[in-house]
Amino acid sequence: MKIIASCLIASLVFLGGCAATVTEAGYYWGDYSQTLYKYTKDPSETTLAEHVEELEDIISTSEEKGLKVPPGIHAELGYIKARQGNDTLAMSYYEKEMSLYPESRLFLERLTVETSKGSDQS
Amino acid sequence: MRNILLLIIAGIAMSGCVAVPVTDTKQSAFPGMYADTKPVSMIIVPAINESTAADAGDLLNVTVTQPFANHGYYVMPVSIVSDIFKREGIIEGTQIKGLPASLFKKNFGADSVLFMTITQWDKNYVVVAGNVTVGIEYVLLSTETNEVLWSYTQQVVVDTSGGNSGGGLIGSIIATAINTAATDYVPIAFQVHQRASGALPYGKYHPKSGQDGADNVVNIAAKDAALAD
Repeated sequence: MKIIASCLIASLVFLGGCAATVTEAGYYWGDYSQTLYKYTKDPSETTLAEHVEELEDIISTSEEKGLKVPPGIHAELGYIKARQGNDTLAMSYYEKEMSLYPESRLFLERLTVETSKGSDQS
Repeated sequence: MRNILLLIIAGIAMSGCVAVPVTDTKQSAFPGMYADTKPVSMIIVPAINESTAADAGDLLNVTVTQPFANHGYYVMPVSIVSDIFKREGIIEGTQIKGLPASLFKKNFGADSVLFMTITQWDKNYVVVAGNVTVGIEYVLLSTETNEVLWSYTQQVVVDTSGGNSGGGLIGSIIATAINTAATDYVPIAFQVHQRASGALPYGKYHPKSGQDGADNVVNIAAKDAALAD
């Protein structure tokens, strides 16, 4: 009974679309998988812009609710900014990810090296 | 029914040593996930797609971060990782399968590496409803020791029409499936991972980390052989 009830609630939340669900670990993900899928299937400026908007919304909504931003969100946004040539913004997002999740340090530092190499060449 | 059968078995074994069905706890099944060296971070390599559905790989790759991060792990950003792999000419996990896991420690700083093999993604259409049968294997390796830390194999039927034939595990999956005119497979792939991650011990960033060792494991199959070609 309880299971059925929670499933009903879950489907209502899904149907509600914008209802801000927070997971047990305390994360808010918005429509992350959906916008990432659309961008993966059809990489275009429009789908990328939508995904960036989603990532920014996850950060702002999490901050509003006093939640920790989920793993990878800042890093992903930073990576996109780096590819768009905005190294300063990219670095600040990487820094944020490293301070939230120290496990990301080695990986992001390598990306940073790559980023700066990329801008040297251009 | 099963209970009756067990009673009969127990009756036969009445001499004292009753054959109790062995259910493993998470801790005894996956000791590496409770050791001091348990992984905090996880790198997920692009799924190996052995199914006949070309799209299954993308669907399962984009949806894997959320459930595994929600379970308490630092998941290396999948989209960046796959981009880096792509530049190295790697688009599928098959190309990485034989490599020593320590490579992911050195290059990404990841404690563990998750491989996924999609064995089945079959869409079935019946008159008013439809479903997808998804077969998938997960193997989590330590990048320190190359050992299998966790593995999970499942075959799950997910209803794509939001039907109401409730009951059991499958019933609950059906109830949460989203019903749309053009079937949206993202939530379906998501549910597949959601179910699998439930069998994974909680990681550092989950409030129940370290407290689920006595929980029973369901539907496990040791897949140590999964990586040996």
